[in-house]
Amino acid sequence: MTLQSSGQETINLQGNHACALGAVAAGCRFYAGYPITPSSEVAERLAKELPKVGGVFLQMEDEIASIAATLGASMGGVKAMTATSGPGFSLKQENLGYGMGAEIPCVVVNVMRGGPSTGMPTRPAQGDLMQARWGTHGDHPVIALTPGSVEEIYQQTARAFALSEKLRIPVIVLFDESLGHLVETVALPDVTDYEKTVRKWATGKPEDYKPYKADKDGVPPMARPGDGYRVHTTGLTVDESGWPTQKSAEVEPVMKRLLGKVALNNDLVESFEDMDCEDAEVVVVALGVVGRAARKAVRELRASGVKAGLFRPITLWPFPTKSFRKLTKKAKHFVVAEMNAGQLILEIGAAKTGRQSVTGLNRFDGVPISPSQIKQSVKEVLGHE
Amino acid sequence: MMKNLEMRFSGAGGQGLQLCAKIFSRALTGEGYHVSMSQSYEPTSRGGLSRADIVASDGTPDYPLTTDLNTVLILDQAAADASEGIIRDDALVIVDPRRTKNPPKGKFKVIELPLSETAISLGSERVTNVVATGVIAELSDDIELEIVERALRQSSPKKFLDMNMDALQAGVDLARGVKSA
Repeated sequence: MTLQSSGQETINLQGNHACALGAVAAGCRFYAGYPITPSSEVAERLAKELPKVGGVFLQMEDEIASIAATLGASMGGVKAMTATSGPGFSLKQENLGYGMGAEIPCVVVNVMRGGPSTGMPTRPAQGDLMQARWGTHGDHPVIALTPGSVEEIYQQTARAFALSEKLRIPVIVLFDESLGHLVETVALPDVTDYEKTVRKWATGKPEDYKPYKADKDGVPPMARPGDGYRVHTTGLTVDESGWPTQKSAEVEPVMKRLLGKVALNNDLVESFEDMDCEDAEVVVVALGVVGRAARKAVRELRASGVKAGLFRPITLWPFPTKSFRKLTKKAKHFVVAEMNAGQLILEIGAAKTGRQSVTGLNRFDGVPISPSQIKQSVKEVLGHE
Repeated sequence: MMKNLEMRFSGAGGQGLQLCAKIFSRALTGEGYHVSMSQSYEPTSRGGLSRADIVASDGTPDYPLTTDLNTVLILDQAAADASEGIIRDDALVIVDPRRTKNPPKGKFKVIELPLSETAISLGSERVTNVVATGVIAELSDDIELEIVERALRQSSPKKFLDMNMDALQAGVDLARGVKSA
Protein backbone atom coordinates (compact mmCIF):
# COMPACT_ATOMS: atom_id res chain seq x y z
CA MET A 1 0.00 0.00 0.00
CA THR A 2 1.31 3.44 -0.82
CA LEU A 3 1.61 6.04 1.91
CA GLN A 4 -0.72 8.24 -0.05
CA SER A 5 -3.45 5.61 -0.31
CA SER A 6 -3.24 4.96 3.44
CA GLY A 7 -4.81 8.38 3.91
CA GLN A 8 -1.94 9.80 5.95
CA GLU A 9 -0.64 13.19 5.03
CA THR A 10 2.71 12.84 3.29
CA ILE A 11 5.51 15.24 2.47
CA ASN A 12 8.78 15.02 0.61
CA LEU A 13 11.33 15.69 3.31
CA GLN A 14 15.14 15.74 3.48
CA GLY A 15 16.89 13.68 6.16
CA ASN A 16 18.59 16.67 7.77
CA HIS A 17 15.31 18.57 7.82
CA ALA A 18 13.61 15.53 9.35
CA CYS A 19 16.23 15.64 12.09
CA ALA A 20 15.42 19.30 12.77
CA LEU A 21 11.67 18.69 12.75
CA GLY A 22 11.96 15.60 14.95
CA ALA A 23 13.91 17.66 17.47
CA VAL A 24 11.29 20.42 17.57
CA ALA A 25 8.47 17.86 17.83
CA ALA A 26 10.24 16.26 20.81
CA GLY A 27 10.33 19.62 22.56
CA CYS A 28 13.83 20.85 21.66
CA ARG A 29 13.88 24.59 22.33
CA PHE A 30 17.59 25.34 22.08
CA TYR A 31 20.13 24.72 19.36
CA ALA A 32 23.71 25.89 19.21
CA GLY A 33 25.88 24.89 16.32
CA TYR A 34 28.52 25.73 13.79
CA PRO A 35 27.60 24.83 10.20
CA ILE A 36 29.52 22.03 8.54
CA THR A 37 28.81 19.92 5.45
CA PRO A 38 26.89 17.60 5.30
CA SER A 39 24.95 18.56 8.45
CA SER A 40 24.30 22.25 7.74
CA GLU A 41 20.64 21.80 6.76
CA VAL A 42 19.88 20.65 10.32
CA ALA A 43 20.99 24.07 11.59
CA GLU A 44 19.41 25.89 8.67
CA ARG A 45 16.00 24.36 9.32
CA LEU A 46 16.20 24.89 13.08
CA ALA A 47 17.06 28.55 12.52
CA LYS A 48 13.66 28.80 10.85
CA GLU A 49 11.66 26.52 13.14
CA LEU A 50 12.89 27.35 16.65
CA PRO A 51 11.87 31.03 16.72
CA LYS A 52 8.33 29.96 15.71
CA VAL A 53 7.95 27.94 18.91
CA GLY A 54 9.71 30.38 21.24
CA GLY A 55 12.99 28.50 21.06
CA VAL A 56 16.53 29.80 20.72
CA PHE A 57 18.87 29.27 17.77
CA LEU A 58 22.49 30.28 18.21
CA GLN A 59 25.26 30.09 15.66
CA MET A 60 28.37 29.84 17.79
CA GLU A 61 31.99 30.65 16.97
CA ASP A 62 32.96 26.99 16.72
CA GLU A 63 31.94 23.42 17.57
CA ILE A 64 33.43 23.45 21.08
CA ALA A 65 31.42 26.52 22.05
CA SER A 66 28.36 24.93 20.42
CA ILE A 67 28.30 21.89 22.67
CA ALA A 68 29.23 23.98 25.69
CA ALA A 69 26.22 26.23 25.02
CA THR A 70 24.03 23.18 24.47
CA LEU A 71 25.03 21.69 27.83
CA GLY A 72 24.55 25.05 29.52
CA ALA A 73 21.07 25.44 28.05
CA SER A 74 20.14 21.97 29.25
CA MET A 75 21.34 22.78 32.77
CA GLY A 76 19.10 25.80 32.46
CA GLY A 77 16.18 23.41 32.05
CA VAL A 78 15.43 23.15 28.33
CA LYS A 79 15.80 20.33 25.84
CA ALA A 80 18.87 21.22 23.78
CA MET A 81 20.75 19.95 20.74
CA THR A 82 23.79 20.50 18.56
CA ALA A 83 24.59 18.96 15.17
CA THR A 84 27.83 18.57 13.28
CA SER A 85 29.95 16.29 11.10
CA GLY A 86 33.27 14.43 11.52
CA PRO A 87 35.76 17.23 12.28
CA GLY A 88 33.21 19.01 14.46
CA PHE A 89 32.35 15.78 16.26
CA SER A 90 36.04 15.41 17.11
CA LEU A 91 36.08 18.90 18.59
CA LYS A 92 33.03 18.16 20.71
CA GLN A 93 34.47 15.08 22.38
CA GLU A 94 35.83 16.71 25.55
CA ASN A 95 32.57 18.45 26.40
CA LEU A 96 30.60 15.38 25.37
CA GLY A 97 32.44 13.57 28.15
CA TYR A 98 31.63 16.44 30.50
CA GLY A 99 27.95 15.95 29.71
CA MET A 100 28.23 12.20 30.31
CA GLY A 101 30.07 12.65 33.60
CA ALA A 102 27.98 15.53 34.95
CA GLU A 103 24.85 13.77 33.60
CA ILE A 104 23.47 16.56 31.47
CA PRO A 105 20.74 15.55 28.98
CA CYS A 106 21.22 16.74 25.38
CA VAL A 107 21.31 15.43 21.82
CA VAL A 108 24.40 15.49 19.61
CA VAL A 109 23.86 14.74 15.92
CA ASN A 110 26.76 13.64 13.71
CA VAL A 111 26.04 13.45 9.97
CA MET A 112 28.97 11.31 8.93
CA ARG A 113 31.23 12.12 5.98
CA GLY A 114 34.46 10.62 4.67
CA GLY A 115 37.47 10.94 7.00
CA PRO A 116 39.98 11.12 8.61
CA SER A 117 40.36 14.85 9.23
CA THR A 118 38.43 17.00 6.76
CA GLY A 119 38.32 13.97 4.44
CA MET A 120 35.50 14.04 1.91
CA PRO A 121 32.93 16.64 2.99
CA THR A 122 30.22 15.71 0.48
CA ARG A 123 30.61 11.94 0.54
CA PRO A 124 28.93 9.44 2.87
CA ALA A 125 30.80 7.26 5.38
CA GLN A 126 30.21 5.33 8.57
CA GLY A 127 33.66 5.97 9.94
CA ASP A 128 32.60 7.43 13.30
CA LEU A 129 30.92 4.38 14.84
CA MET A 130 33.73 3.68 17.27
CA GLN A 131 34.33 7.37 17.86
CA ALA A 132 30.72 7.62 19.04
CA ARG A 133 31.45 4.83 21.54
CA TRP A 134 34.94 5.72 22.69
CA GLY A 135 35.67 9.21 21.37
CA THR A 136 35.80 10.93 24.71
CA HIS A 137 38.35 9.84 27.30
CA GLY A 138 37.73 7.71 30.34
CA ASP A 139 35.05 5.12 31.05
CA HIS A 140 31.66 6.56 30.26
CA PRO A 141 28.09 5.53 29.56
CA VAL A 142 26.85 6.11 26.02
CA ILE A 143 23.76 5.89 23.86
CA ALA A 144 24.07 6.22 20.07
CA LEU A 145 21.19 5.79 17.64
CA THR A 146 21.60 5.02 13.92
CA PRO A 147 18.41 5.64 11.93
CA GLY A 148 18.11 4.19 8.41
CA SER A 149 15.54 6.35 6.64
CA VAL A 150 14.20 9.89 6.59
CA GLU A 151 11.20 8.81 8.65
CA GLU A 152 13.46 7.06 11.13
CA ILE A 153 15.71 10.13 11.40
CA TYR A 154 12.64 12.11 12.50
CA GLN A 155 11.54 9.41 14.92
CA GLN A 156 14.94 8.55 16.37
CA THR A 157 15.96 12.17 16.84
CA ALA A 158 12.76 12.64 18.85
CA ARG A 159 13.48 9.44 20.75
CA ALA A 160 17.03 10.62 21.44
CA PHE A 161 15.57 13.51 23.43
CA ALA A 162 13.31 11.21 25.42
CA LEU A 163 16.20 8.85 26.27
CA SER A 164 18.50 11.72 27.17
CA GLU A 165 15.90 13.23 29.48
CA LYS A 166 14.96 9.93 31.06
CA LEU A 167 18.54 8.79 31.69
CA ARG A 168 20.25 12.19 32.11
CA ILE A 169 22.76 11.49 29.38
CA PRO A 170 23.87 13.06 26.09
CA VAL A 171 22.50 10.90 23.26
CA ILE A 172 24.32 10.71 19.94
CA VAL A 173 22.39 10.40 16.66
CA LEU A 174 24.53 9.08 13.81
CA PHE A 175 23.64 8.93 10.15
CA ASP A 176 25.65 9.37 6.98
CA GLU A 177 25.65 12.04 4.27
CA SER A 178 23.53 9.98 1.87
CA LEU A 179 20.70 9.80 4.43
CA GLY A 180 21.17 13.39 5.57
CA HIS A 181 20.70 14.61 2.01
CA LEU A 182 18.14 11.99 0.97
CA VAL A 183 14.64 13.28 0.29
CA GLU A 184 11.88 10.72 0.87
CA THR A 185 8.11 10.75 0.80
CA VAL A 186 7.17 10.35 4.44
CA ALA A 187 4.21 10.39 6.76
CA LEU A 188 5.64 11.80 9.98
CA PRO A 189 5.13 9.43 12.91
CA ASP A 190 3.53 10.58 16.15
CA VAL A 191 6.19 11.43 18.73
CA THR A 192 3.95 12.91 21.43
CA ASP A 193 5.23 10.40 24.00
CA TYR A 194 8.79 11.53 23.38
CA GLU A 195 7.74 15.13 23.70
CA LYS A 196 6.06 14.41 27.02
CA THR A 197 9.17 12.71 28.38
CA VAL A 198 10.92 15.24 30.58
CA ARG A 199 13.70 14.69 33.12
CA LYS A 200 12.82 14.07 36.73
CA TRP A 201 12.89 17.33 38.63
CA ALA A 202 14.11 17.48 42.20
CA THR A 203 11.39 17.52 44.87
CA GLY A 204 11.50 17.68 48.63
CA LYS A 205 13.35 20.00 50.99
CA PRO A 206 16.15 21.91 49.27
CA GLU A 207 18.45 21.38 52.28
CA ASP A 208 18.15 17.58 51.88
CA TYR A 209 18.77 17.57 48.12
CA LYS A 210 21.76 15.63 46.85
CA PRO A 211 22.27 16.29 43.12
CA TYR A 212 23.82 12.89 42.41
CA LYS A 213 21.75 10.66 44.66
CA ALA A 214 20.01 8.33 42.24
CA ASP A 215 16.62 6.70 42.38
CA LYS A 216 16.13 2.99 41.74
CA ASP A 217 16.41 3.57 37.99
CA GLY A 218 19.99 4.72 38.50
CA VAL A 219 19.14 8.30 37.56
CA PRO A 220 19.31 11.24 39.97
CA PRO A 221 16.57 13.91 39.77
CA MET A 222 17.81 17.22 38.42
CA ALA A 223 17.37 20.61 40.05
CA ARG A 224 15.24 23.02 38.07
CA PRO A 225 16.73 26.52 38.11
CA GLY A 226 14.53 28.76 40.23
CA ASP A 227 13.19 25.97 42.40
CA GLY A 228 15.62 26.83 45.20
CA TYR A 229 17.98 23.84 45.02
CA ARG A 230 21.72 24.34 45.20
CA VAL A 231 23.86 22.43 42.72
CA HIS A 232 27.56 22.32 42.01
CA THR A 233 28.37 21.01 38.54
CA THR A 234 31.88 19.95 37.60
CA GLY A 235 33.80 17.60 35.36
CA LEU A 236 35.59 16.19 38.39
CA THR A 237 34.43 12.92 39.88
CA VAL A 238 31.86 13.75 42.54
CA ASP A 239 30.08 12.07 45.41
CA GLU A 240 26.30 12.23 45.85
CA SER A 241 26.51 15.81 47.11
CA GLY A 242 28.04 16.94 43.83
CA TRP A 243 31.37 17.92 45.39
CA PRO A 244 34.63 16.43 44.08
CA THR A 245 36.05 13.33 45.64
CA GLN A 246 38.93 10.97 44.98
CA LYS A 247 38.27 8.62 47.90
CA SER A 248 38.00 5.13 46.44
CA ALA A 249 35.18 4.15 48.79
CA GLU A 250 33.11 7.04 47.44
CA VAL A 251 34.26 6.92 43.83
CA GLU A 252 33.51 3.28 43.18
CA PRO A 253 29.76 3.29 43.89
CA VAL A 254 29.30 6.57 42.03
CA MET A 255 31.14 5.26 38.96
CA LYS A 256 29.34 1.92 39.06
CA ARG A 257 26.01 3.66 39.06
CA LEU A 258 27.06 6.05 36.28
CA LEU A 259 28.40 3.27 34.07
CA GLY A 260 25.49 0.97 34.83
CA LYS A 261 22.51 3.25 34.37
CA VAL A 262 22.09 2.60 30.64
CA ALA A 263 22.17 -1.19 31.06
CA LEU A 264 19.68 -0.86 33.94
CA ASN A 265 17.24 0.72 31.48
CA ASN A 266 18.05 -1.54 28.54
CA ASP A 267 14.39 -2.18 27.72
CA LEU A 268 13.97 1.48 26.92
CA VAL A 269 17.25 1.85 25.08
CA GLU A 270 17.50 -1.25 22.89
CA SER A 271 16.16 -1.10 19.34
CA PHE A 272 16.88 -2.95 16.12
CA GLU A 273 15.31 -4.39 12.98
CA ASP A 274 15.55 -8.09 12.26
CA MET A 275 14.36 -9.86 9.16
CA ASP A 276 14.40 -13.62 8.49
CA CYS A 277 17.07 -14.26 11.14
CA GLU A 278 15.55 -17.33 12.83
CA ASP A 279 16.50 -19.90 10.20
CA ALA A 280 19.18 -17.90 8.39
CA GLU A 281 22.48 -19.52 7.52
CA VAL A 282 24.01 -16.14 6.83
CA VAL A 283 23.01 -13.06 8.79
CA VAL A 284 23.97 -9.72 7.29
CA VAL A 285 24.66 -7.07 9.92
CA ALA A 286 24.45 -3.51 8.66
CA LEU A 287 23.11 -0.15 9.79
CA GLY A 288 21.90 3.13 8.34
CA VAL A 289 21.66 3.26 4.56
CA VAL A 290 23.71 0.06 4.28
CA GLY A 291 21.04 -1.63 6.39
CA ARG A 292 18.58 -0.80 3.67
CA ALA A 293 20.86 -2.16 0.95
CA ALA A 294 21.08 -5.30 3.07
CA ARG A 295 17.29 -5.51 3.38
CA LYS A 296 16.96 -5.46 -0.40
CA ALA A 297 19.76 -8.01 -0.77
CA VAL A 298 18.25 -10.36 1.83
CA ARG A 299 14.83 -10.16 0.24
CA GLU A 300 16.28 -11.02 -3.18
CA LEU A 301 18.47 -13.80 -1.77
CA ARG A 302 15.47 -15.35 -0.02
CA ALA A 303 13.52 -15.20 -3.27
CA SER A 304 16.30 -17.23 -4.91
CA GLY A 305 16.32 -19.78 -2.10
CA VAL A 306 19.33 -18.57 -0.10
CA LYS A 307 18.77 -18.61 3.66
CA ALA A 308 19.85 -15.08 4.46
CA GLY A 309 18.77 -12.77 7.28
CA LEU A 310 19.27 -9.19 8.38
CA PHE A 311 20.16 -7.70 11.73
CA ARG A 312 20.12 -3.89 11.68
CA PRO A 313 20.95 -2.17 14.95
CA ILE A 314 19.02 1.07 15.42
CA THR A 315 20.53 1.54 18.86
CA LEU A 316 24.19 1.03 17.99
CA TRP A 317 25.52 1.77 21.50
CA PRO A 318 25.07 -0.04 23.69
CA PHE A 319 24.99 -2.79 21.06
CA PRO A 320 21.88 -4.98 21.48
CA THR A 321 24.07 -8.00 22.24
CA LYS A 322 21.52 -10.21 24.04
CA SER A 323 18.89 -9.89 21.33
CA PHE A 324 21.50 -10.34 18.62
CA ARG A 325 22.68 -13.60 20.22
CA LYS A 326 19.18 -14.88 20.69
CA LEU A 327 18.10 -14.12 17.12
CA THR A 328 21.19 -15.43 15.38
CA LYS A 329 21.71 -18.65 17.35
CA LYS A 330 21.35 -20.80 14.25
CA ALA A 331 23.48 -18.69 11.92
CA LYS A 332 26.65 -20.17 10.51
CA HIS A 333 28.07 -17.01 9.04
CA PHE A 334 27.92 -13.27 9.58
CA VAL A 335 28.56 -10.70 6.87
CA VAL A 336 29.16 -7.27 8.36
CA ALA A 337 28.65 -4.59 5.71
CA GLU A 338 29.79 -1.10 6.66
CA MET A 339 31.07 2.08 5.02
CA ASN A 340 34.38 2.06 6.88
CA ALA A 341 37.45 -0.16 7.10
CA GLY A 342 35.94 -2.42 9.79
CA GLN A 343 34.39 -1.08 13.02
CA LEU A 344 31.01 -2.75 13.60
CA ILE A 345 32.71 -6.06 12.80
CA LEU A 346 34.71 -5.75 16.01
CA GLU A 347 31.49 -5.66 18.02
CA ILE A 348 30.05 -8.63 16.12
CA GLY A 349 33.21 -10.61 16.82
CA ALA A 350 32.67 -9.89 20.51
CA ALA A 351 28.91 -10.45 20.50
CA LYS A 352 28.72 -13.79 18.69
CA THR A 353 28.57 -16.88 20.86
CA GLY A 354 29.34 -19.72 18.49
CA ARG A 355 31.95 -20.57 15.93
CA GLN A 356 30.31 -18.58 13.17
CA SER A 357 32.58 -17.06 10.56
CA VAL A 358 32.61 -13.27 10.42
CA THR A 359 33.32 -11.62 7.07
CA GLY A 360 33.62 -7.89 6.53
CA LEU A 361 32.28 -6.09 3.47
CA ASN A 362 33.85 -2.66 3.56
CA ARG A 363 33.86 0.47 1.46
CA PHE A 364 35.56 3.69 2.38
CA ASP A 365 35.71 5.39 -1.01
CA GLY A 366 32.75 7.69 -0.43
CA VAL A 367 30.31 5.39 -2.22
CA PRO A 368 27.51 3.47 -0.45
CA ILE A 369 27.60 -0.34 -0.44
CA SER A 370 25.05 -1.62 -2.97
CA PRO A 371 22.57 -4.47 -2.56
CA SER A 372 24.36 -6.46 -5.29
CA GLN A 373 27.68 -6.22 -3.43
CA ILE A 374 26.01 -7.63 -0.33
CA LYS A 375 24.41 -10.45 -2.32
CA GLN A 376 27.77 -11.27 -3.84
CA SER A 377 29.41 -11.33 -0.43
CA VAL A 378 26.76 -13.65 1.03
CA LYS A 379 27.14 -16.03 -1.92
CA GLU A 380 30.92 -16.08 -1.54
CA VAL A 381 30.61 -16.88 2.14
CA LEU A 382 28.30 -19.78 1.30
CA GLY A 383 30.68 -20.96 -1.38
CA HIS A 384 28.25 -20.46 -4.25
CA GLU A 385 29.64 -19.34 -7.60
CA MET B 1 0.97 -2.07 -9.34
CA MET B 2 3.15 0.87 -10.16
CA LYS B 3 6.38 0.31 -12.00
CA ASN B 4 9.61 1.23 -10.20
CA LEU B 5 11.31 4.16 -11.87
CA GLU B 6 14.94 5.14 -11.50
CA MET B 7 16.05 8.45 -12.97
CA ARG B 8 19.37 10.27 -12.95
CA PHE B 9 20.03 13.91 -13.85
CA SER B 10 23.77 14.36 -14.21
CA GLY B 11 26.27 16.90 -15.41
CA ALA B 12 28.49 19.55 -13.88
CA GLY B 13 27.81 21.47 -10.69
CA GLY B 14 25.67 24.55 -11.35
CA GLN B 15 23.61 23.12 -14.24
CA GLY B 16 20.39 22.95 -12.27
CA LEU B 17 20.32 19.17 -11.96
CA GLN B 18 18.91 19.21 -8.43
CA LEU B 19 16.06 21.39 -9.65
CA CYS B 20 15.36 18.95 -12.46
CA ALA B 21 15.06 16.15 -9.92
CA LYS B 22 12.87 18.29 -7.67
CA ILE B 23 10.43 18.95 -10.50
CA PHE B 24 10.16 15.26 -11.35
CA SER B 25 9.91 14.37 -7.65
CA ARG B 26 7.03 16.73 -7.28
CA ALA B 27 5.33 15.38 -10.39
CA LEU B 28 5.80 11.74 -9.37
CA THR B 29 4.61 12.36 -5.81
CA GLY B 30 1.48 13.88 -7.31
CA GLU B 31 1.02 10.66 -9.27
CA GLY B 32 0.98 8.68 -6.03
CA TYR B 33 4.55 7.46 -6.11
CA HIS B 34 6.78 7.24 -3.08
CA VAL B 35 9.86 9.23 -4.07
CA SER B 36 13.44 8.89 -2.83
CA MET B 37 15.68 11.66 -4.13
CA SER B 38 19.41 11.51 -3.55
CA GLN B 39 22.29 13.61 -4.73
CA SER B 40 26.00 13.82 -5.06
CA TYR B 41 28.12 16.89 -5.62
CA GLU B 42 31.62 18.20 -5.13
CA PRO B 43 32.57 20.63 -2.36
CA THR B 44 32.83 23.41 -4.95
CA SER B 45 29.73 25.46 -5.87
CA ARG B 46 30.32 25.07 -9.62
CA GLY B 47 31.94 22.39 -11.78
CA GLY B 48 32.83 18.78 -11.08
CA LEU B 49 30.38 15.89 -11.24
CA SER B 50 26.95 16.67 -9.92
CA ARG B 51 23.99 14.35 -10.03
CA ALA B 52 20.51 14.05 -8.62
CA ASP B 53 18.72 10.70 -8.58
CA ILE B 54 15.13 9.62 -8.12
CA VAL B 55 13.82 6.23 -7.12
CA ALA B 56 10.03 6.24 -7.51
CA SER B 57 8.15 3.26 -6.17
CA ASP B 58 4.90 1.97 -4.76
CA GLY B 59 5.55 2.54 -1.04
CA THR B 60 8.84 2.95 0.81
CA PRO B 61 11.58 1.09 -1.08
CA ASP B 62 14.01 -1.22 0.71
CA TYR B 63 16.90 0.68 -0.83
CA PRO B 64 16.43 4.37 -1.63
CA LEU B 65 19.45 4.83 -3.91
CA THR B 66 19.66 4.03 -7.63
CA THR B 67 20.98 0.69 -8.85
CA ASP B 68 19.16 0.21 -12.15
CA LEU B 69 18.59 3.42 -14.09
CA ASN B 70 15.86 3.64 -16.70
CA THR B 71 16.25 7.33 -17.47
CA VAL B 72 19.59 9.13 -17.59
CA LEU B 73 20.30 12.76 -18.47
CA ILE B 74 23.89 13.74 -19.19
CA LEU B 75 24.60 17.45 -19.61
CA ASP B 76 28.38 17.45 -19.28
CA GLN B 77 31.39 15.24 -19.94
CA ALA B 78 32.03 15.23 -16.16
CA ALA B 79 29.04 12.90 -15.84
CA ALA B 80 29.68 10.66 -18.87
CA ASP B 81 31.18 7.76 -16.92
CA ALA B 82 29.37 8.28 -13.63
CA SER B 83 26.60 5.78 -14.33
CA GLU B 84 28.72 2.96 -15.69
CA GLY B 85 27.25 -0.45 -14.96
CA ILE B 86 23.91 0.72 -13.61
CA ILE B 87 22.09 1.76 -16.81
CA ARG B 88 19.42 -0.70 -17.94
CA ASP B 89 19.57 -2.01 -21.50
CA ASP B 90 16.15 -0.51 -22.22
CA ALA B 91 17.02 2.83 -20.64
CA LEU B 92 16.47 6.23 -22.15
CA VAL B 93 19.83 8.06 -22.17
CA ILE B 94 19.65 11.71 -23.18
CA VAL B 95 22.88 13.54 -23.89
CA ASP B 96 23.83 17.13 -24.71
CA PRO B 97 26.64 16.56 -27.26
CA ARG B 98 27.88 20.16 -27.07
CA ARG B 99 29.35 19.53 -23.65
CA THR B 100 29.60 15.73 -23.75
CA LYS B 101 32.09 14.66 -26.39
CA ASN B 102 32.26 11.00 -25.35
CA PRO B 103 28.87 9.74 -24.20
CA PRO B 104 28.59 6.33 -22.49
CA LYS B 105 28.30 3.25 -24.70
CA GLY B 106 26.11 0.22 -24.10
CA LYS B 107 23.05 -1.65 -25.25
CA PHE B 108 20.88 1.27 -24.19
CA LYS B 109 19.74 3.90 -26.64
CA VAL B 110 21.65 7.21 -26.51
CA ILE B 111 19.71 10.19 -27.82
CA GLU B 112 21.83 13.25 -28.53
CA LEU B 113 19.90 16.51 -28.57
CA PRO B 114 21.05 20.16 -28.73
CA LEU B 115 19.75 20.94 -25.25
CA SER B 116 22.11 23.76 -24.31
CA GLU B 117 22.02 25.26 -27.84
CA THR B 118 18.25 25.37 -27.63
CA ALA B 119 18.49 27.05 -24.23
CA ILE B 120 20.95 29.61 -25.58
CA SER B 121 18.62 30.39 -28.48
CA LEU B 122 15.89 31.06 -25.92
CA GLY B 123 18.14 33.60 -24.21
CA SER B 124 19.95 31.70 -21.45
CA GLU B 125 22.05 28.56 -21.18
CA ARG B 126 20.79 28.36 -17.62
CA VAL B 127 17.47 26.88 -18.78
CA THR B 128 19.19 23.85 -20.34
CA ASN B 129 17.85 21.82 -17.42
CA VAL B 130 14.29 22.88 -18.20
CA VAL B 131 14.70 22.05 -21.91
CA ALA B 132 15.89 18.62 -20.77
CA THR B 133 12.89 18.34 -18.46
CA GLY B 134 10.61 18.86 -21.47
CA VAL B 135 12.45 16.22 -23.46
CA ILE B 136 12.21 13.61 -20.69
CA ALA B 137 8.57 14.39 -19.91
CA GLU B 138 7.66 13.94 -23.57
CA LEU B 139 9.72 10.81 -24.20
CA SER B 140 8.88 8.98 -20.99
CA ASP B 141 5.96 6.56 -21.04
CA ASP B 142 5.62 6.73 -17.28
CA ILE B 143 5.10 10.43 -16.65
CA GLU B 144 2.40 12.69 -18.03
CA LEU B 145 3.65 15.93 -19.55
CA GLU B 146 0.92 18.03 -18.00
CA ILE B 147 1.86 16.87 -14.50
CA VAL B 148 5.48 17.82 -15.09
CA GLU B 149 4.30 21.17 -16.44
CA ARG B 150 2.26 21.77 -13.30
CA ALA B 151 5.20 20.83 -11.08
CA LEU B 152 7.46 23.22 -13.01
CA ARG B 153 4.91 25.98 -12.66
CA GLN B 154 4.79 25.42 -8.90
CA SER B 155 8.58 25.39 -8.64
CA SER B 156 9.22 28.50 -10.76
CA PRO B 157 9.75 31.98 -9.32
CA LYS B 158 7.44 34.43 -11.12
CA LYS B 159 10.12 36.26 -13.04
CA PHE B 160 11.42 33.03 -14.60
CA LEU B 161 8.03 31.45 -15.24
CA ASP B 162 7.64 32.54 -18.87
CA MET B 163 11.17 31.55 -19.82
CA ASN B 164 10.80 28.20 -18.06
CA MET B 165 7.55 27.45 -19.86
CA ASP B 166 9.15 28.35 -23.20
CA ALA B 167 12.12 26.12 -22.38
CA LEU B 168 9.84 23.22 -21.41
CA GLN B 169 7.93 23.56 -24.68
CA ALA B 170 11.19 23.74 -26.67
CA GLY B 171 12.23 20.47 -25.02
CA VAL B 172 8.90 18.87 -25.87
CA ASP B 173 9.36 19.97 -29.50
CA LEU B 174 12.87 18.50 -29.62
CA ALA B 175 11.50 15.22 -28.31
CA ARG B 176 8.67 15.17 -30.82
CA GLY B 177 11.31 15.55 -33.53
CA VAL B 178 12.99 12.38 -32.23
CA LYS B 179 9.69 10.51 -32.08
CA SER B 180 8.71 11.37 -35.65
CA ALA B 181 12.21 10.70 -37.02
